[in-house]
Amino acid sequence: MAKAKPAPIIHTERLLALVPYISANQGIAIADLAKAFDVTTSQMSADLTTLWMCGLPGYTALELMDLSFESGFVTIRNAPTLKSPRTLSSEEIISLLLGLDLVRESLPNNEDIASKVQTLSQRLSEKVGMNATFRAADPVSSALRAQIEQSLHKQVNLEISYHSLYSDSFTEREITPLELRTEDGVEYLFAYCHSACAFRVFRLERIQSLKVSSNTQKVISREASSENAEFASHISINSRARLMKERFGLDNAPVNEKVQIQSFSRQWIIRSVFASSGSAVLLEPGDLALEIAKKAQLILDRYPAH
Amino acid sequence: MSRKSERLVNLTIALLATRRYLTKSEIFRSIEGYEGSDEAKERMFERDKDDLRSLGIEIEVGGFDPIFNDEAGYRIKPESYALDLGEISGADIALLSLAANAWNGQALNAIAHSALLKLKSIGIDSDIDAIPMLAPRMVSASNELVTVVEAITTRSAITFTYIGQDLENQKRTLNPYALASRDGFWYFAGMDLDKGAIRNFRLDRVEGEIVVGNKSDSFEIPAGFDLFSHLDEGISAKLATIDIRKGKAFALRKKALSVVEKGEWDQITIQYGDDSTFIDSLLWHLDDVVVIEPSELRESVVKILSSMVVNHG
Repeated sequence: MAKAKPAPIIHTERLLALVPYISANQGIAIADLAKAFDVTTSQMSADLTTLWMCGLPGYTALELMDLSFESGFVTIRNAPTLKSPRTLSSEEIISLLLGLDLVRESLPNNEDIASKVQTLSQRLSEKVGMNATFRAADPVSSALRAQIEQSLHKQVNLEISYHSLYSDSFTEREITPLELRTEDGVEYLFAYCHSACAFRVFRLERIQSLKVSSNTQKVISREASSENAEFASHISINSRARLMKERFGLDNAPVNEKVQIQSFSRQWIIRSVFASSGSAVLLEPGDLALEIAKKAQLILDRYPAH
Repeated sequence: MSRKSERLVNLTIALLATRRYLTKSEIFRSIEGYEGSDEAKERMFERDKDDLRSLGIEIEVGGFDPIFNDEAGYRIKPESYALDLGEISGADIALLSLAANAWNGQALNAIAHSALLKLKSIGIDSDIDAIPMLAPRMVSASNELVTVVEAITTRSAITFTYIGQDLENQKRTLNPYALASRDGFWYFAGMDLDKGAIRNFRLDRVEGEIVVGNKSDSFEIPAGFDLFSHLDEGISAKLATIDIRKGKAFALRKKALSVVEKGEWDQITIQYGDDSTFIDSLLWHLDDVVVIEPSELRESVVKILSSMVVNHG
């Protein structure tokens, strides 16, 4: 765990950050200021009262910061010493560098912005002054995500081209986006699919392209339901336990024991067992195991030398 | 709490505003809040200095006068205190804000948020219309990301439990050098102190908390260290020729170096590293893929398929 800073330190940090923020945003409402700094309004009022007492030694009216907030709106004068925001910490710079990496990645065709990003990254890297490398990659296009967010906001339908991993095929679908969600590091779009007349979950990185639909139809059939019910199967793992645990999404992967897996899709189970290259064997249901054996024989037949 | 933070803010202001070094006695005399015996004041001041330094504020010590055998003085240089990003435009601010917002709700959220507040305090309005509509998002399931960033920036060793290939718990001690994400996973790399060699780790395979050692600046990061070059070691070592069915095996098609049409099939060449990882990805595509070369790879696939027929029959 990262070490937590003690409360008075966090408080001092906030007070120091407040002065330049107010200087750049004169007349800001206390409530907005509280929101920006992620504290309650009463905490913010207490902060402002503390700041009001601060200034240069002497502590006469002339030396103190001229802070006014009685009206509920905050202005600051006579605070030249603290007016500039503090220099960025190494951690802050790293968070920005990683973020800029994602921006850069999503701009292959925009040289003007790409060179701006490059300049900013370079300047920030120099500030960190160390050799460490930090790189980020987003499996999802930033532009695509922005379009989805906007369609959610505007409540419009989208036409998407989607690569289904289980059937290894592309489908064109008209969907009504409902929610973006992140689970275990994977981003999903929950939507109503008008092509399937059912609710569907799409992995963002598999949406190949999308455009706003001219169709405004938003009727979601009440009978809509996920047509496949989840069912249980059992496998036995005999090697590469970590990989099998990750592949089958298991909490634990004891070797040579009967382990239950859950899935909505026979197709996914079949492919996952094949992609385990023998490290996992499907035990039940029997008909699915037989299908795997037949499929394996079918593939073998393509290697005639044997 | 507010008394202490008030004193720290006043100390910062005084040390920033002064053009010469302020001595301790001047500080105790003029800044409010230093009370009690001389010893108590000294202790307070020492702690305050440490606290400001923990916030990344550099306090300079100097001003010794050799003739008068003077006491040390203190000041904060405005140029080390204040943010200076050079010439910066509204579009730059918009891009940096976008970068900070990528962390929304994710591991470095708090850090990125405080960076964002500083950007908003520069006094230049973000020109969001000058940049394309983008929504970059940093996806990270692990909160330990912050810990790794902290350890790298302070150059402190870390210890953690890593889940090995057979799900065994491994105790690791590492001087961390780099952090990077790829294909939705976060990786970190560095000098493994037990193995005496560079190793890389996937963050989601760390069990429990990562503990940062108490000693900072305990190592140097080699110049030009590239995590991906370690990850990729051997990845392009081998070349395979495979047949893939038309309109199928999209994931392999994307990595193809060459494609030759063969009626119902396409023949592609593709680079690979680790055999078993590559075979896994080939078998995922079932009967849409046939290995042509190299023959060792072909034999391995045949062997696996034969045992699958037996085990599932």
